[in-house]
Amino acid sequence: MATVEKLIAPVSRAQGEASRNKVTIVGVGQVGMACAVSILLRELPDEMALVDVLEDKLKGEMMDLLHGSLFLKTPKIVANKDYSITANSRVVVVTAGARQQEGESRLNLVQRNVNIFKFIIPQIVKFSPNCTIIVVSNPVDILTYVTWKISGFPKNRVIGSGCNLDSARFRYLMAEKLGLHPSSCHGWVLGEHGDSSVPVWSGVNVAGVGLQQLNPDIGTAQDKENWKDVHKMVVESAYEVIKLKGYTNWAIGLSVAELTESIVKNLKRIHPVSTMVKGLYGIQNEVFLSLPCVLSAEGLTAVINQTLKEEEVAQLRKSAETLWAIQKELKDL
Amino acid sequence: MANLKEKLIGQLETSQDKSSHNKITVVGVGAVGMACAISVLMKDLADELALVDVMEDKLKGEMMDLQHGSLFLHTAKIVSGKDYCVSAGSKLVVVTAGARQQEGESRLNLVQRNVNIFKHIIPDIVKYSPDCILLIVSNPVDILTYVAWKLSGLPMHRVIGSGCNLDSARFRYLMGERLGIHSSSCHGWVIGEHGDSSVPVWSGMNVAGVNLKELHPEIGTDKDKENWKKVHRDVVDSAYEVIKLKGYTSWAIGMSVADMAETLMKNLRRVHPVSTMVKNFYGITNEVFLSLPSVLDNHGISNVVKMTLKSDEEAKLQQSATTLWDIQKDLKF
Repeated sequence: MATVEKLIAPVSRAQGEASRNKVTIVGVGQVGMACAVSILLRELPDEMALVDVLEDKLKGEMMDLLHGSLFLKTPKIVANKDYSITANSRVVVVTAGARQQEGESRLNLVQRNVNIFKFIIPQIVKFSPNCTIIVVSNPVDILTYVTWKISGFPKNRVIGSGCNLDSARFRYLMAEKLGLHPSSCHGWVLGEHGDSSVPVWSGVNVAGVGLQQLNPDIGTAQDKENWKDVHKMVVESAYEVIKLKGYTNWAIGLSVAELTESIVKNLKRIHPVSTMVKGLYGIQNEVFLSLPCVLSAEGLTAVINQTLKEEEVAQLRKSAETLWAIQKELKDL
Repeated sequence: MANLKEKLIGQLETSQDKSSHNKITVVGVGAVGMACAISVLMKDLADELALVDVMEDKLKGEMMDLQHGSLFLHTAKIVSGKDYCVSAGSKLVVVTAGARQQEGESRLNLVQRNVNIFKHIIPDIVKYSPDCILLIVSNPVDILTYVAWKLSGLPMHRVIGSGCNLDSARFRYLMGERLGIHSSSCHGWVIGEHGDSSVPVWSGMNVAGVNLKELHPEIGTDKDKENWKKVHRDVVDSAYEVIKLKGYTSWAIGMSVADMAETLMKNLRRVHPVSTMVKNFYGITNEVFLSLPSVLDNHGISNVVKMTLKSDEEAKLQQSATTLWDIQKDLKF
């Protein structure tokens, strides 16, 4: 009799049930692994799957996580380049693709990443037809559109990580200026995740006190305190960190874990994430931009009607046009 | 004229509590250092985290990336600098700095390179945090813990090597895989050298107090048809295998450091297999550091659990001690 049989008597012969909160991470580069670790340390999934094309790297990363099993509450961690490993996921986080080089804008990456997505999205859908996909790869607004088109999913189940990170950076910088914790500083950055994102100054507040009421010049060129710089720094953040350490990963990983938490735990929290905005703010094309959205177990189930000023609406429309100009040239979606 | 901050926030108490109560410093922002940092942050162990390294851009980039995740964390202050003054007042300093194993290279090969690095960093750490606990992670960890102890002048209970905390975690993970049980319910201790000559204490392996050696007396021997000895072999080979696949290991060691940090910072008095000064234990006569089950609290190592070892296990410990002393006696400080 084997040791295990001598030691352990079965009570139920029935097979264990399938995982209920499985999360898959596609792409085990720096961003993918930061997402993986943040999600594991937040104890969200009962199973995690990793997928990539680099087999050694993939296996090495999986083993390194498994060696930490003692310290985690996720009993099953698997990895394979074959997507069958991802079957029955609740949430699939897509980080695969080329990343920005130093000085390169996110829009440059487009066609390279579209080709990669044409391969991976159908695989995800085949094995997890009911999942919610969170797209992280850049340029995220365009790639969320691409994912939506290729997957055939309803728009509530395709979410772009979008401005969740921009808003977190904004709130961090705001908190530094005010000497408070970021979770008490409220500010929303919407629109494109990138150079033309829109800081909604009218909503910036602490304890419901609107900063624009205290400082009507906030966000304008006349503002002596130059709050506009806070948003400028958010836009430049990624470039700066990339220049210093070669890539960014921790902040985006933590922000993706937060989105995943809202979905897996059906929290109905509001996050600025990238969603299909045709029909809103006079936008007529099928583009994805970040707006405050309710995330729940069914994915992105509602959008908050943010009252925007004229120039803010104009900026959103302009982003929409820029994105559409690129999207309409994309081949074979 | 009041600025926005002054208009918004009425200051009640002007004297700010400037010093942190639970500061942790991580020295070295390579893959291991950053895995330690993120694990410590996500476990909410510190009210301040300091990062130190010699590569200034990388250091600043890593600090910024963590700060951008502030919204999702509960560590209000994250700082960095190549000058150790940023580490002042730390309760715990985790040292990951130094050269790492290349593919196929043993830990002992790294010694002199890392001794030279420690000659610079240990005195500076102690200068700014004379009351800290030093947790050494850099390899070969047992020798470098000895080196750190010598260079720091700290009492031996405040200089700890991460040692076999990770080996035991890997052992328990692999044990759990064989038995179909979560690793936290599988008990097994690997002690001695963190490396090729670590000692698995087969007589202590148990699940729910049921001793595996009593169920299966050949366990750990060459006669064992189930080849449980392979579990320990795999632990020894683990690091080499992960390094071969992904270039380095990071996640498991990072999580194991956070596990020890939790016990130290929260004064838990949990028992961990960590590297401590073992002269006068098990007939060892030299000043060497090896892993034994140690009680950790907020002063460092407070007790060692006296394991009953078989004569061959004791012999192996003595042999590790001799191997390590052979190298240590030639080191130039």
